[in-house]
Amino acid sequence: MLVMGIESTAHTFGVGIVSDGKIIANEKEMYKIGTEGMIPSKVAEYHINNAPIVVERALKSAGVNLNEIEGIGYACGPGLGPCLQVGELTAKSIATRLGIKIAQVNHPVAHVEVARKHAKMKDPLVLYVSGGNSQILKTVRKPFLHYSVFGETMDIGVGNMLDNFARALKLNPAWGSTVAKTAENGKYVPLPYTVKGTEFSFTGLLTSATKHIGSESARDLCYSIQETAFAMLCEATERVMMLTNAKELCVCGGVGQSTRLKEMLAAMATSHNAKLGFAPNEFNADNGAMIAVVAEDMLRKGMSTKISECSINQRYRIDRAELAW
Amino acid sequence: MKQLSEGAEAKIYLAKTAGTNVVIKNRIEKKYREKALDDSIRAARNRIEARILYKVSRAGVPAPRLIAASKHTIVMSWIDGRMLNKTRHTSKIMERAGEHLASLHNADISHGDYTPANLMVGKNEVYVIDFGLASITNSLEEKATDLLLMKRSTAKSAFRSFLKGYERKSRMHDEIVARLDDIERRARYQSRTLG
Repeated sequence: MLVMGIESTAHTFGVGIVSDGKIIANEKEMYKIGTEGMIPSKVAEYHINNAPIVVERALKSAGVNLNEIEGIGYACGPGLGPCLQVGELTAKSIATRLGIKIAQVNHPVAHVEVARKHAKMKDPLVLYVSGGNSQILKTVRKPFLHYSVFGETMDIGVGNMLDNFARALKLNPAWGSTVAKTAENGKYVPLPYTVKGTEFSFTGLLTSATKHIGSESARDLCYSIQETAFAMLCEATERVMMLTNAKELCVCGGVGQSTRLKEMLAAMATSHNAKLGFAPNEFNADNGAMIAVVAEDMLRKGMSTKISECSINQRYRIDRAELAW
Repeated sequence: MKQLSEGAEAKIYLAKTAGTNVVIKNRIEKKYREKALDDSIRAARNRIEARILYKVSRAGVPAPRLIAASKHTIVMSWIDGRMLNKTRHTSKIMERAGEHLASLHNADISHGDYTPANLMVGKNEVYVIDFGLASITNSLEEKATDLLLMKRSTAKSAFRSFLKGYERKSRMHDEIVARLDDIERRARYQSRTLG
């Protein structure tokens, strides 16, 4: 089946195409974050301007015509409302024009599934870390097959926390990977470490690190905030691993691109004779291909939605989405 | 000395001294963690756990008794029972677990990881174990978080029984349950209508 996937939950407008499970196109345009972060209406405007261009480019790179597409999926949430609407509208227009089925894809599920398939893992424990989310997941069969949340942030996502700190330090571009670059060769400064069982929280860490700006170097603070946050994630994940006896761990989501986080998780997993899996960075950053991958699985299972009933859900949690396994 | 189990932060051994069983909890080094951070976490948690075990027995909550402690190790009495997450949760057991948490909170102890994986069921009693993430505090936030962790790790009906026991003994039930609601609303993407 030839399926197109559309991603527009946050800064990225992405279009991917899969053919029988194989990714044959993954094109995107990303809103340039300056020092001010993301303003939803500005990002949506950017997506509106880029949508036709990215769709065109994906078709060209896959070497297919629009009318060959047999099904379409879009990320319907969670995310920024105005941005989600652009993806919804694009998918609906194409589906209407071609008369094809449409699938509403949960964005976190797509991150997990593309990483799980790349890592060739059957049913791993998952650490999903991005701007908005930080969750430890494992499938549960009741009341329907879904990724159940075994541990998660009690306030903001780890990526959002790092982005916030980057803005406080006036780094450019103001996001996590700049914090990682600034952290090189840093020294450890004690910061609050908050793990409560399998749950954790980041706002205390952020406030404290922000208060140290000026009295400690940016390098040492970036190093310490990253080490502390990642150690918290590792500890909570380790606890769920012990509780569920998992032997496979898969990390995904935007923050899953971090080399340091993967290094720590690999060390932790190895100490319990477990394996760590992940996808190439292209699929950890927001992208359309992962949406296409899940949309194809959903459409094959008959999990499509009538065009008149398609919508967006800014708070669409992963544990509310049925899996198309 | 026999290894009983390995948790996320410690190895647990069973040993015999002077004819009685004792449990030795050794906080192991975590190689993935920045060394200075790892040292401070392990030493601080060990110190707090030893202090709290002593306070818990005075609060009348069934738990292991503190025998000895060093920098990264605690020796405590052994409990004959089964882990609650590996046995059936009867409503009576859950109510008792709720009463124990209320008694801890009344004594200004927050457990920090109050889930079925840290409760043991003996012949006639429910025991609270693993005070590694506990703190001595009167903060509503910490106490409500204990309830949240139990809520997240049990079925709805089991949590209802648990709350019944908690309400019976707690001196600050209403404030703490209201704060629990607050904490749940704070999380990103948390639907306000979640039950």
